[in-house]
Amino acid sequence: MMRPDQLSEMQLDTLREVGSIGAGHAATALSQLVGQKVDLAVPVLQLVPIGQVPEIFGGPETLVAAVYNRLLGDLKGSILFAAPRASSLALVDMLRNRPAGTTKSFGRGEQGLMTHVASVLASAYLASIGRLADLSLLPAPPSFALDMAAAILEAVMLQVEQRADCALLVVTRFFENESPVDMHLFFMPDPDSLEVLLGRLGMT
Amino acid sequence: MEPSRSGEVNVIEVGVGGLAFGQFPSLLMTPALGSCVGVTLWDPIKQRGGMAHVMLPTTGDSQMKGEATRFAVVAVPMLVDKLVRMGSPLKRLEAKLAGGSAMFGGDITMASIGQRNVSEVKAQLARYGIRPVGEDVGGSHARTIELHLDTGVLVVRSYLYGMREL
Repeated sequence: MMRPDQLSEMQLDTLREVGSIGAGHAATALSQLVGQKVDLAVPVLQLVPIGQVPEIFGGPETLVAAVYNRLLGDLKGSILFAAPRASSLALVDMLRNRPAGTTKSFGRGEQGLMTHVASVLASAYLASIGRLADLSLLPAPPSFALDMAAAILEAVMLQVEQRADCALLVVTRFFENESPVDMHLFFMPDPDSLEVLLGRLGMT
Repeated sequence: MEPSRSGEVNVIEVGVGGLAFGQFPSLLMTPALGSCVGVTLWDPIKQRGGMAHVMLPTTGDSQMKGEATRFAVVAVPMLVDKLVRMGSPLKRLEAKLAGGSAMFGGDITMASIGQRNVSEVKAQLARYGIRPVGEDVGGSHARTIELHLDTGVLVVRSYLYGMREL
């Protein structure tokens, strides 16, 4: 098994590149969905030791909307799409072609839209990584949650932490300059899958 | 959400997988319990208590090192033993627990950890003959808990249900 904290600089660069390619395709899909250009930041790799939860959204109790997809196929792991509440509502407004601030609360319709968008992003992300590494990657059916950031991240990270003493997160930030939309996509391959992925790319 | 009734008391924050003890006028709290379980013990005479933030039921659920207190099988005995050593008799300890939810109920592999955490915490307490006097567990929402060491009230806050007192 590959230890995420013992990866070489080259291997980390490879993963960052894989993340960029996945995120690039996801951003294109998102731009097409909302009919506006969506920007993305260079993916950041984060090594999170067991028992810790990254503070990404300001504080543990920050209310975020999140969609979780377990990975099926040749790699095991998770994909999580998450955005603070206000940001998610602004995304819903973009999708409905209304000015930001129109949607005020999360109902069934809003949840459905968020879940749908996250599925499209996860599929685009996985498809491009799958093509690159010649692997078959599929997202499992998505589940939605609107709750405290730390509880959501912790639930997802527990999946990896039962088999590793730290989790490797490939985090990409998507944003749109005209509106307060700021979203994160987390790609978390589990340690065995990390080896498969890097092996396919000739980096073991 | 506003912190409840904290005023000028000293808040002791228990981290993920951690464990802490306190005496009034301190207050024990742990934020954002998802599938994790927050378990508290309180001694009404000494107005002190302990709190643990349990992540996994047993050590068999992880082959990896790290804080052993993240497991129910380690954290609960540690809480009880320490309080007894500090001079709180076993029969005076009052236990409460909260958490153990399934944040993403739609995903099967994830759904059971919370439940297993709850039953292991209860099984560990039962070894000492302690029955929880209050609990708010399960569901699919996150909880923040605060143990008030003067009254023994466990305040459970969530976005879904607001504030509840146990």
